[in-house]
Amino acid sequence: MTATALLEGRNLRKTYRLGRRTTVEALRGVDVRIDRGEMVAIMGPSGSGKSTLMHILGLLHSPDANHGPRPELSFGGQDMVNLGEGERTKIRAREMGFVFQDFNLVPTLTAIENVMLACDYAGIRGAPARALAAEALALVDLADRADHRPAELSGGEQQRVAIARALVNKPSLILADEPTGNLDSERSAEVLGLLRRFNQEHGQTFILVTHDPDVAAACDRVIRVRDGRIRDQSLSAVPQPLDLEAREAVA
Amino acid sequence: MQQLRNLGRRKLRTSLTILGITIGIWALVVFGSMANKINALVAGGSQFYEGKVTVSAKGAGMGFGSPVDISAGDRVASMGGVDVVVPGVSMLLADEASSMSMSMPQMIRGQVADADRGRETFPMSYASGRALTPADEGSNVAVLGSDIARQHDTKVGDTITLHGEPFQVVGILEPTLTAPDTTVVVPLEAAQRLYVKTLPPLVAAELDPATLATGFTVYPKPGTDPETIATEIRATAPDLEPVTAKDFNSQIGSATSILNSILVGIALISLAVGGLSVINTMAMSVAERTREIGIKRAIGGGRLRIVRELVTESALIGFLGGATGLVLGAVLVTVVNEAGRSSGTVLFQLTTGTALTAVGFSTVLGALAGLIPAMHAARLDPVAALRYE
Repeated sequence: MTATALLEGRNLRKTYRLGRRTTVEALRGVDVRIDRGEMVAIMGPSGSGKSTLMHILGLLHSPDANHGPRPELSFGGQDMVNLGEGERTKIRAREMGFVFQDFNLVPTLTAIENVMLACDYAGIRGAPARALAAEALALVDLADRADHRPAELSGGEQQRVAIARALVNKPSLILADEPTGNLDSERSAEVLGLLRRFNQEHGQTFILVTHDPDVAAACDRVIRVRDGRIRDQSLSAVPQPLDLEAREAVA
Repeated sequence: MQQLRNLGRRKLRTSLTILGITIGIWALVVFGSMANKINALVAGGSQFYEGKVTVSAKGAGMGFGSPVDISAGDRVASMGGVDVVVPGVSMLLADEASSMSMSMPQMIRGQVADADRGRETFPMSYASGRALTPADEGSNVAVLGSDIARQHDTKVGDTITLHGEPFQVVGILEPTLTAPDTTVVVPLEAAQRLYVKTLPPLVAAELDPATLATGFTVYPKPGTDPETIATEIRATAPDLEPVTAKDFNSQIGSATSILNSILVGIALISLAVGGLSVINTMAMSVAERTREIGIKRAIGGGRLRIVRELVTESALIGFLGGATGLVLGAVLVTVVNEAGRSSGTVLFQLTTGTALTAVGFSTVLGALAGLIPAMHAARLDPVAALRYE
């Protein structure tokens, strides 16, 4: 099996400035490769840099270029480091889907309008957008809730609308930041099963940021991040209850 | 439309902001209409004085007051550059000057018809009836200005009482928005007789009505500047006071331009306050929607798109406020004008230009006020915005 890389990053580092003197080194030089069709979990304790890594892979932030080895980031074989904000926004709109932990939806828009917003940003409007959005809502089993506002939907339903919005443009990459973070275990399993289904049926690539071992267990691979570095890129789908210190000590 | 729904999110706050703009535009419409009316009066007056020298007896002001001998006109006629001199008698229509009024005082003016030999350029058209003719001298006939005809509810053929004498109405003028609207024109001989009646009996006994004038209209020969004649009258006839269009503009024009500035200034100040409240409202909206803006940016909403949505929303606030202000202003202007019409006091003139300017201005003001918060929103880091509590 010859897997092709969808995302490839080298020397990814990011330092945030908090106030005048304090800086936080969120990522301290990371090399990462995500293959097409993979479902990858990024795990780590809070403050480890896992969200920062996702933001860079999702083109929401750029890696630092002004110190250390030159960063490289390619998406679908195209260089991303030197793109402007407008170009990156366009790629996010057309080729990526995003699911966030909470407050995912625009409260004044109905479920279907929220999904259509993603079509709109990708340049599809009017009747075709409505048809695509209806189709995406049907996929997440929410066809009958299309005209409900977010406030009229349960947390699990809201998250499914967000997933429909992430999928509607049939992007090659879907990034999810704690997609089950605010859901009980039953809804959580439901959402996770949905993501897995799209990954398997449509071959879409998923990157899930999580600290839930059950979520990680459902993925093909787990990237463990700690202190701004990748500690482990297990290819095993079996979750390993890890003691990172112990492992380091062995190494 | 999404922006309308956004306005509905904070109904009280949005309504108060719209109300702020409404008050500003209301003031702009009302004061603007008042300024329009004043400007129309002044422009009409300016046109009325154009191309001639209006001469009155010294100390009498603009064309009415104390009498001079009609022979003074001959002195003026002998000056260089003078073509025609028309003697006239002007007096207040009312027996006593009524209370202070914004509008022109109502006047009776008498002069021999066609004595200007076609030199008068101020356009007069008749709504009904006819103009006076030289043959009317000696009879009690009158042509009414439009305001006077309306106020007295008089038609051609009716009789109107002037200083105790009945006059038959033979013509009614179209509105001119200036002096002729509030003027009754009668033959010179009748005006001279009425004028003497207004004087104290002892003074009146000394005067021969037939030699009496309160002023002259002097038409220069073609190519002669009325200013030249006015200068000569000032130098050689101390009992006469010439007024040219230039004098009128400098006296009345400067006073009205100050008044205009004050009126428009008041309106602009209230609009500045309204504009600031739009900025405030939009800044609060942006702060409240920070996470929503973060989501939109993250899933591929461009910066320009975010700016456009917010600016449209604030322009909508401006437009709604402006439209409401225009409607309320138009209602007030119409009601006050209708109420004042019977007494001849039409205070306002709301033009299409003023209406369009008011609404256009408020819409642009709203858009500009929204621009600052919108740019701020577009520059937000999507990730930071998503985490915003």
